[in-house]
Amino acid sequence: VRFNPGDLGYLVPYLILAIVGMLLVLAEAFYRGRDRSALVGLTVAGSVAAAIASVILYRQVGDAPIALMGEMLVADRTSYVLSALFSVLTAFTALMTPAHQRAHEWQSGDTYGLMLLSASGMVMLAHAANLVTVFLGIETMSIGVYVMTAMRRRSRRSNEAAMKYFLVGAFATGFLMYGLALLYGAAGTSSLLKMQTMLSQTVNPGLVIAGAFLLVVAFGFKVAAVPFHMWAPDAYDGAPTPVTAFMAAVVKAAAIAAMIRVFGVALGGDIIPFGTLGWASPMVVIAAITITIGNISAVRQSNVKRMLAYSSVSHAGVLLVGICALGLGSTTANQSIVYYLIAYTFSTMGAFAVLTYIGSKGRERLLIEDWAGLATQHPAAALAMTVCLLSFGGMPPTGGFFAKFYLFKSAMEVHDGQLLWLVLVGVVNSAISIYYYLRIVTAMYFREASEPFAPTRSAGLVFVMAVCPLIVLELGLMPGWWLRLVG
Amino acid sequence: MPLTLLGTIKSVDRHAREFMAAMLVLEAGMIGAFVALDVFLFYVFWEVMLIPMYLLIGIWGGQRRLYASIKFVVYTMVGSLLMLVAIFYVYVQHANVTGVYTTDLEALMQVALPHGAQYWCFAAFALAFAIKIPLFPVHTWLPDAHVEAPTAGSVILAGVLLKFGIYGFLRFAMPLFPHGAAEWAPVIAILAVVGIIYGALVAFAQDDVKKLVAYSSVSHMGFCALGIFTLTGMGISGSMYAMLSHGLTTGGLFLGIGVLYERRHTRRMAEYGGIWKQMPLFAGLYLIVVMGSAGLPALSGFVGEYLTLFGTFISGDTFPAEFPNYLPVPRLLGALATTGVILGAIYLLYMFQKVFFGKLDKARNGHLPDLSGRELATFLPLVALIFALGMFPRPALQVMEPSVQKFIRDYNRRVAEPDGPAHVYGRLPTAEAKSIEAGLDQLAQGADRVGSLLKPSGTPEAGFGGAQ
Repeated sequence: VRFNPGDLGYLVPYLILAIVGMLLVLAEAFYRGRDRSALVGLTVAGSVAAAIASVILYRQVGDAPIALMGEMLVADRTSYVLSALFSVLTAFTALMTPAHQRAHEWQSGDTYGLMLLSASGMVMLAHAANLVTVFLGIETMSIGVYVMTAMRRRSRRSNEAAMKYFLVGAFATGFLMYGLALLYGAAGTSSLLKMQTMLSQTVNPGLVIAGAFLLVVAFGFKVAAVPFHMWAPDAYDGAPTPVTAFMAAVVKAAAIAAMIRVFGVALGGDIIPFGTLGWASPMVVIAAITITIGNISAVRQSNVKRMLAYSSVSHAGVLLVGICALGLGSTTANQSIVYYLIAYTFSTMGAFAVLTYIGSKGRERLLIEDWAGLATQHPAAALAMTVCLLSFGGMPPTGGFFAKFYLFKSAMEVHDGQLLWLVLVGVVNSAISIYYYLRIVTAMYFREASEPFAPTRSAGLVFVMAVCPLIVLELGLMPGWWLRLVG
Repeated sequence: MPLTLLGTIKSVDRHAREFMAAMLVLEAGMIGAFVALDVFLFYVFWEVMLIPMYLLIGIWGGQRRLYASIKFVVYTMVGSLLMLVAIFYVYVQHANVTGVYTTDLEALMQVALPHGAQYWCFAAFALAFAIKIPLFPVHTWLPDAHVEAPTAGSVILAGVLLKFGIYGFLRFAMPLFPHGAAEWAPVIAILAVVGIIYGALVAFAQDDVKKLVAYSSVSHMGFCALGIFTLTGMGISGSMYAMLSHGLTTGGLFLGIGVLYERRHTRRMAEYGGIWKQMPLFAGLYLIVVMGSAGLPALSGFVGEYLTLFGTFISGDTFPAEFPNYLPVPRLLGALATTGVILGAIYLLYMFQKVFFGKLDKARNGHLPDLSGRELATFLPLVALIFALGMFPRPALQVMEPSVQKFIRDYNRRVAEPDGPAHVYGRLPTAEAKSIEAGLDQLAQGADRVGSLLKPSGTPEAGFGGAQ
């Protein structure tokens, strides 16, 4: 690997996040007093700077990807769109966190440093062009989030969640490492860009099958796909709500970003003897059951946080449909997935921001009954939540509708309509999902409140609550512009 | 829409601003869906209509509004999402044939799909539209939605939203999948007739006035569905006319129920009786609306029903010869549907009699004020239109005539297209063309082989060099 200092220019977003993250960890160590607002400011400033750097670099790269650091990393439009997305969402998480910390007494400045370090791992995933950098990115991202999950030290649920998340994550890492090793053995290279060519000439197809299968399992754990999703509801429920938002939105999006590179580029095409669909045949089955089981489990939840957790499981399934389409050669799948990620992450952020908002000091309102009558007392919050939920459910004119539309359209473009039945499964499940999203809307608008709300007020939180639904609506009004971000 | 709002303004007791906003969003969705000539755009507006209607039922609705609103949304979503898959399918097939990705309806209509695919795509569209109409087995959301919705919601639902089902068939499903439509037509026609009779019988058994009118809607919309699947000029014009009339009369019926409900806060027929003496003006106007709905000649309902039934009777004689059994026993279907007219007269008059005639024996009915000026202003235009459409059907029919004729002409041309892989209409690759194409392929392959023989490894010069 030849180190070229000029390449660092393309990695400014990554460097900003990593350096500011380390500064924050140091700052926390030498910080006196309980007020952490300066740390929040630094976190937001760092992530916004990374986002701006991503936008500037986005305008400089062309259609062709630029290999960096001896093909360890790659810079193209997709990677900068995603790194801008991750940075903005990290800033949003940081804005939500202090209010929740004050209301539920888990003040800790470490959270912010970990958040940025985790985000730097995500940005590395967006740039990854090598099995090694995929692994590094995933680990950097995950380890930060394990600790963030446990941050509410005095809460047993938070500790339980972190323990589960960590153990399952460690298993997944094992699968990932083993899978990467087998693929390296079969291809003789760890570069994702060269892998497709090398794998088509491999003398040992058995290794490819085993490696690809292990990767499906590992990424299945990371994005919480059925049957590897068992940790998700407990971890999402136990983690502090802003951290849950971070996990459900950004961490999931980063794992999907890695899948775009690994399954869409390296293992894409029809090179792998794995049934007729290549690695996609187990993945197609996983996508179908993920959408279905995630939805059916969500229908039965009375706790909004768990419902959103299961709903995020089912959204992961829809994203896997996109990954399958990408691997099977749909030319529009890449932009559909990125669009879906943008719509899904902002809806998730907005929904969890409202969830943080309506909890009062020392008491989180997590049950659906607790939401009754929100519309009469806090109409703006109810409206924000409704927009996000409608976007989850795929109702026009929100971004979620176009996201599903474009994604399923890409899946239909796969040769011979091989994914038709998968699209049918996805579409029927969209109708089911409407039912449980509307349960929350129903509670907010059609029922009377049993007690007055005492929401957690904070400027940062209100900002996130206001901006996310607006972005979701904007996505629906100008879908073409967002789609063309990624050529 | 203005009539509806004028008529119901007083019954909206809370969140009046939000109510108006929801109504206007609904109107925007409806207009958008009616003018969309792009399948995707149509789908977007079709879905946009759902949310305001859901809120109208859920916020301003009656006792069981939670159940009714969610049922309404889930029913409609299931149908429309399957339609979305069919849209994808047509979209991809069109691109495969022409190389252009588009959702423009005119462009999509140029491509003939294989008959098997048409069968399933039409089924997907038909489910969405049948739920909206609503046809017999998928009608159960309608009574709930109608009964729980506020008056304005019911009027819009009956007056406009249900028409989207028929409109969708005429505008999208039948032109896109003519052969599928022909294969499904008997099923839909039979379901429509079942709906006519079943709706009428169930309506007869109701005590709740609003439920009665809701089931009468099921019955009347059955006529509309039957009319378009006769595929005769008469039937389709009749169906469209019946839709117009149904919008006016059923809208009027719901408005009238709203008038009564505002005064007495009950919808049970047993609670009324003898209202004529208290509200003669209202009773007189309402009688005209009821008669219009029951299909009394000289009022609007009669024209549509007559044309529809006539179209059904003659449909067996006019249909293209390729489909000898297109509608099974058209005359029997027509006869059965006609009983719906009779039943309609029975239950509507029964309702009118229970509410307006008889003794004024309930004390609380003693002091009901007659129509206010505002209410009169909503009823008079309706009644005038019901009269006008009944007495002078010619102008409206003349407006419909050219488009109906064109629809049938196009449809007959398309449905005669022979089966085959997806292709542009009229350009089915024949066996001869195929063999020529195959021959050309072979020639090309041969040329390739010759070319590769002429070019051994390396350049010719190098080869000669090696020989030396």
